[in-house]
Amino acid sequence: MVDAIPRWLRLATAAALVLIVAYLLVPLLVVVGVSFTAADYISFPPQGLSLRWYAKVLSSGDFTDAAMTSLVLAVAITVAASALGAGAAIVLHRRVLPGSAAIGGLFLAPLILPSIILALGLLMLWSRSFGATSLLTVFIGHLVLALPYVIRTTLAVLSTSDPFLAEAARTMGAGPWKTLWRVTLPQCLPGVAAGAFFAFNISFDEAVVSLFLRSPEITTLPIRIYTTLEYSPDPSIAAVSSLMIFLTVLLILLIDRAVGLQKVTE
Amino acid sequence: MSTVELHDIRKSYGTVEVIKSVSLSIEKGEFISLLGPSGCGKTTLLRMIAGLETVSKGEITIGGRDATRLPPEKRNIAMVFQSYALLPHLSVLGNVLFPLEMRRIGTPASRREKAEAVLEMVGLAHLGTRYPRQLSGGQQQRVALARAVVCDPEVLLLDEPLSNLDAAMRERMQEELIELHRKTGLTTVFVTHDQEEALSMSDRVVLLNGGRIEQMATPSELYARPATSFAASFIGATNLVEGRAHAGVVELDGGARLRLPDGALNGGVSLSLRQEDLILSPPDIATGISGKVINRIYLGARMRYVVATSSGEIRVLADCDTGFDIGDRVCITIAPEKIVVLQGAALTG
Amino acid sequence: MTRYLQPLILIAPGLLIMCLAFVLPVGLMFSLGIVSEEGALNADQLTRFLSDPYYLKVGLRTLRLAFWIAAISALIGAPFAYVMARCGKRLRLVLIIAVTLPLMTSVVVRTFGWMVVLGRSGLVPDTLYALGLVRRNFSLMQTETAIVVGMVQVVLPFMVLSVLGVIQRLDPRLEEAARTMGCNFLQSLRRVVLPGAMPGILTGFLLCFSLSASYFITPTLLGGARLPTLAGSIYENATKTLDWPFAAAQSIILMCGLLLLFIPYSLAARSRHG
Repeated sequence: MVDAIPRWLRLATAAALVLIVAYLLVPLLVVVGVSFTAADYISFPPQGLSLRWYAKVLSSGDFTDAAMTSLVLAVAITVAASALGAGAAIVLHRRVLPGSAAIGGLFLAPLILPSIILALGLLMLWSRSFGATSLLTVFIGHLVLALPYVIRTTLAVLSTSDPFLAEAARTMGAGPWKTLWRVTLPQCLPGVAAGAFFAFNISFDEAVVSLFLRSPEITTLPIRIYTTLEYSPDPSIAAVSSLMIFLTVLLILLIDRAVGLQKVTE
Repeated sequence: MSTVELHDIRKSYGTVEVIKSVSLSIEKGEFISLLGPSGCGKTTLLRMIAGLETVSKGEITIGGRDATRLPPEKRNIAMVFQSYALLPHLSVLGNVLFPLEMRRIGTPASRREKAEAVLEMVGLAHLGTRYPRQLSGGQQQRVALARAVVCDPEVLLLDEPLSNLDAAMRERMQEELIELHRKTGLTTVFVTHDQEEALSMSDRVVLLNGGRIEQMATPSELYARPATSFAASFIGATNLVEGRAHAGVVELDGGARLRLPDGALNGGVSLSLRQEDLILSPPDIATGISGKVINRIYLGARMRYVVATSSGEIRVLADCDTGFDIGDRVCITIAPEKIVVLQGAALTG
Repeated sequence: MTRYLQPLILIAPGLLIMCLAFVLPVGLMFSLGIVSEEGALNADQLTRFLSDPYYLKVGLRTLRLAFWIAAISALIGAPFAYVMARCGKRLRLVLIIAVTLPLMTSVVVRTFGWMVVLGRSGLVPDTLYALGLVRRNFSLMQTETAIVVGMVQVVLPFMVLSVLGVIQRLDPRLEEAARTMGCNFLQSLRRVVLPGAMPGILTGFLLCFSLSASYFITPTLLGGARLPTLAGSIYENATKTLDWPFAAAQSIILMCGLLLLFIPYSLAARSRHG
């Protein structure tokens, strides 16, 4: 097109874009910056350059224990959410069960309902029925939060692929279970994979449900950071946070490899 | 001996009946087309033969076995889908092997041999390791066909398999399909909305309309002797006119008179006058429909004239050198034996 | 019946989790807010909230903050999403990363970042001091401004993605058509893109509003005890004073407030789709 957009508007847009991107990334960059400080207190720009806070974090059992808890929990959520979510999404996609729309709505409801409400409800129900909350309670809460993501990404993949594959497999002699195993699962694998990454990320970063269910056993990494922030933060918090940011970057690269970032945002 | 037998088949969704009592028997080795406009139930009928759609009432036998309640994998059928439904995560060879593996036919080695032989037959032997997305539309079509014929099904079901191809490719695949049918001798049911496809490929055409069989006949019979006005207007380009027959002559509603092939007809009739059978002449001929040319459209090989007559607009396909102009008065005639009498005439005994 | 067997087996575990760990706890929580210990229906906890000026102030602050956060997100996010949908591939990738990286980073970490930026001798106060605009030891922490700055960054990605989803389905040829019919670029934005993107902006606004109103981590850490919000107060009552019936009642009020917003929206959306 000839001179489609006026020049002044292009310049203004470019400036605005830079500002917005900076605004979005500033808190992350600052945290990473602080983590390399040599000083004893939190300061930005960092004073001097050192890895001493990373060394402190990695040698203190406190943070590594929390990281281990978070990691185990997140992996368990990834496996469970992928399995349950893929199964549910396949059934929802076929629309064979009566009330499929309502069931689908139920599965996606945690995306809309504020997680503080789920967290409070879980706390009350668990305490009344079983007493003290445990890591299992947090697992269940995170599972409810992660399921809709797996279901959504799987449904998205299923809805763009050939709707007749499963039927074609049936006409070629495959029974329902063989069709599921040999045709439908391979078909929705990219969606399940994307959902699995999200599930991991949600569980690893989640703080609301974990905070409500808080007990000594439930010291995940975000909880550990939150409690330190409430009282006396020092640069070791920045080092832990930076490690979490690096993990997120890694996760995003993996998602891009597996399914393509462009697709995820669609 | 018939391979597929449909007996009084009905299908309803809730209170809507989409198939209303269809009975049909398909002979071994026959190539049969289910033809009709969209929504006529042709695809539903095909999917019921495949077992992908439940039957509300009636019976289906395949190869002499009652198949009405059998799931698709227990029927010895094969189907080619409109989208081909090639499994994207399997190679071409993997796709052709799939039905052999699922039906546990032969040993792994003999399956491979058979799959390769079939790929050879459709001219894709060199593409066995490719994946479906790397193939052109025509090649995907051939893989779908190879996958369908590989385990000698009792009946081969084709659901508008040519509709996703461009015109040139479609013509070629038509020829290849006919050849494949001749080579394999498979009983074939072909669903299409394209009358030319149905006429050129089938031994028999089943014309469907509103969930019922409108007419079932060989292509030439369907073309020359359509039984109903729907059949006449769906096959080829025609003009439908009405009038009263008496002593070998029909007086059309507008007053014009035409000679009939059969002197025994008497009373109200409905006629089909094919566009290509009508002849345009200068306006001084006695028996014919007179009118005025109101439009003419150049079609390359022929010229289509639109003539306003006392019996409504009549379309005539004429040679390009028929030199009439818009506004000219003309007379339309037709050889009596070309007139198709559709219905309503009583025979005087 | 056999055709229901496989679907039921596949969906049962997920459905069971949803019923036991979602429907049941949320339902129990709501019932606890309006049923007294003797099991009778009672609105004591609700009236306690609605008759206490302190809590009314908390509620109003929550509403005000959520509105500003959602509105600012819409103002920034909608044009950002438009650029994202129409720009070249490479810039697009940069923008996608700029949106997804914060989105996928723990809110706790991001809030910590803002504490450093906004706190005493942080980036922003230092710059303002250097410009001579504020006195020494100025801090933005513990202000509503801090909460808005921090929360907009938290919810902006949701706004962008929600608008992006809608604009990507908008045919770019519509804009070209508008240009051939005499619109200049800005007019084509206002007359063609904006109406098309409106459903996405509305959805994004509601999403951001509901997230802001129900989030407590960022507001508590940036606003501190002097500026409690509804969600923060729920958290206090649930985990510190252990007054669960009152926490439940506040949750009910939060939910009702959000529903008041959502219901007209979903009715409008339904009538739009016929």
